Amino acid sequence: MATQGRRDFLKSLSAIGISTIGVAGITPSITKASPENILSKDRMGVLVDTTVCIGCRKCEWACKNAHDMPSGSIDDYENESVFDNKRRPDYSALTVVNKYQNDKTGSPINVKVQCMHCDQPACVSACIVGAFSKKENGSVVWDESKCIGCRYCMVACPFQIPSFDYHKALEPEIRKCDFCFDRTAEGKLPACIEICPVEAITYGRREDLVQVAQEKIKNYPERYNNHILGETEVGGTSWMYMAGVDFKNLDFPTLGDKSAPGVSESIQHGIFSYFVPPVALYALLGGVMWISKNRDKKEEN
Amino acid sequence: MKKILFYLSIILFSTALYSQQKHSDIKVDCSFCHSCENPTKNEPCIKDCPRHTMITVHHSPSEGPLEIKIDILKKEKDLYSPVIFSHRAHSEMSQMGGGCSMCHHYNPPGRVVACKECHDVNRQRADLRKPDLNGAYHRQCIDCHKLWSDDKGCTYCHAKNSDSGKNKITKTVPKKDRIHPEVIAPNKVVYNAKSGKNKFVTFYHNDHTNLFSLECKDCHKDESCVKCHAKEKIIKKQNKTLNQKHQLCSSCHDTAKNCNNCHMEKVTEGFNHKIKTGFDISKFHAALKCRDCHKKPKSFTGLKGTCSNCHQEFKAGTFDHRKAKLVLDEIHAEIDCSDCHTNANYQKPTCENCHDDKSFPANLPGKKIK
Repeated sequence: MATQGRRDFLKSLSAIGISTIGVAGITPSITKASPENILSKDRMGVLVDTTVCIGCRKCEWACKNAHDMPSGSIDDYENESVFDNKRRPDYSALTVVNKYQNDKTGSPINVKVQCMHCDQPACVSACIVGAFSKKENGSVVWDESKCIGCRYCMVACPFQIPSFDYHKALEPEIRKCDFCFDRTAEGKLPACIEICPVEAITYGRREDLVQVAQEKIKNYPERYNNHILGETEVGGTSWMYMAGVDFKNLDFPTLGDKSAPGVSESIQHGIFSYFVPPVALYALLGGVMWISKNRDKKEEN
Repeated sequence: MKKILFYLSIILFSTALYSQQKHSDIKVDCSFCHSCENPTKNEPCIKDCPRHTMITVHHSPSEGPLEIKIDILKKEKDLYSPVIFSHRAHSEMSQMGGGCSMCHHYNPPGRVVACKECHDVNRQRADLRKPDLNGAYHRQCIDCHKLWSDDKGCTYCHAKNSDSGKNKITKTVPKKDRIHPEVIAPNKVVYNAKSGKNKFVTFYHNDHTNLFSLECKDCHKDESCVKCHAKEKIIKKQNKTLNQKHQLCSSCHDTAKNCNNCHMEKVTEGFNHKIKTGFDISKFHAALKCRDCHKKPKSFTGLKGTCSNCHQEFKAGTFDHRKAKLVLDEIHAEIDCSDCHTNANYQKPTCENCHDDKSFPANLPGKKIK
């Protein structure tokens, strides 16, 4: 008669227990608290050639339509009076085109502005609840369900891109270009890329685009400044720019090659790694206790 | 049927020979342009050549199509309808610019390569070095149009698909013979050299075009539309060197010496061949170009006003007198030329040698024609 002994029963019970714990242990690791920050070799990017852009603002229109924002009539976009003021992306437009005078050739320079989708995004690093994430396809996206509205991302961004629904009292959102994450997941092109009549914005693997840009500069040195903005700035960005003039004249900030979160993260992570804070705290408390104990002893003596 | 095939094969053979002939003019290796070993007309396997080493062949505007409907990128839902591109009008206009290669920047011998053969129809593609077809088309048009046109919106070329009826038709279909309107050229232009005693150069534009039969493109080559159409004068006046200033004139006139041929103390009269040289070219020589008679480069002197300067072959029996608008009658046709044209300038005949001066020269030696 084969009877199960007490030892066997306990063994099988513990096996089940371990496997349950194992499954339970895996599941939370997917939704871990630390931010998702994937840097794929095949991440996509965009090369913006400001020497080609004609300032038709079709990208603005297509962007609004793709994100269910009020877009108005397409004919209104031919009105050039908007170029009188320099605009920034905000809650009503995730991308805008600005026009700059060109003293070199006389024909104006049009510059499309939107999120640069950094390779080491400061917003991802700054977000305390992990609402921002860098996806495998290169896009930096924002998750409404996690956001608590602290707006640290807006302060952290070196390009000052994330904007806030200030006009909304209830459930205001952080708004910024999401590289048409939903459209690209379906195999479509980002809306602005698809509509651009002159292909001033070229969509492709970031690696390929850097090569294309370098070739252009080599072949047409008179047309382009030898600078691909975003190739190395703040550790590299998915959207990169080419221009015939210095980027300072086009309202781009002068940024170093070090990633924006690099400095702050090294301090923060340095402090919190290797149990430094608890050890330091207990060491401090222990020290205080030891001193006061010694003092008591002296007083007793 | 056989006959037709025979002629057809002859035509095909000769065109093949023609294109080979042109190919032989090119001093590059076959593999410079072709990727396969035996390229054929149908499968030329042409490589993507870099733009700066392109080979260009000139075709006349009439060889190209009159107009092209660019609908290769048409989709189910489009904001705008396809453009009907007036190809001939544009190719004629391009004669004053860089010719065919202004648009067809890749132009191997034989035939013209269409945009779509190099530029991908799909925006999602492997080779990102060239713009896709949509981008290529728009860049090609807009690069010129944005510079001069006030109306540079999309509807300048496209009709909006939401438009209906009248608006649509007038916008999309250009008149078949739509061509660059006649350019109003100046009669004369006075240049002020500002230095020296003889300041003024009076340039008679109409003489150069009408009298000297120069075509616009003979002088106005490599000019962009902006030269006339700039909305704002964006091209700043350059400081030209002396050579650059004289460049256009010196292609026909010797500007290195005899400045006073053109530079005068005051504004001068236009050139009249009869008054200045005594030789009236308006009757029979109006259609000739200067170079047809003045064969020595950059020199317009040294010809005597006699026919034998050019017409050495004028002998009895070899000259068709009808060209002088007069058919000689039977008797006069057999007389030696010099019997009547004694002074050898062939302008006015002398009749007194044979006839009394009462009846001649009132009576003509033949029938006058027009």
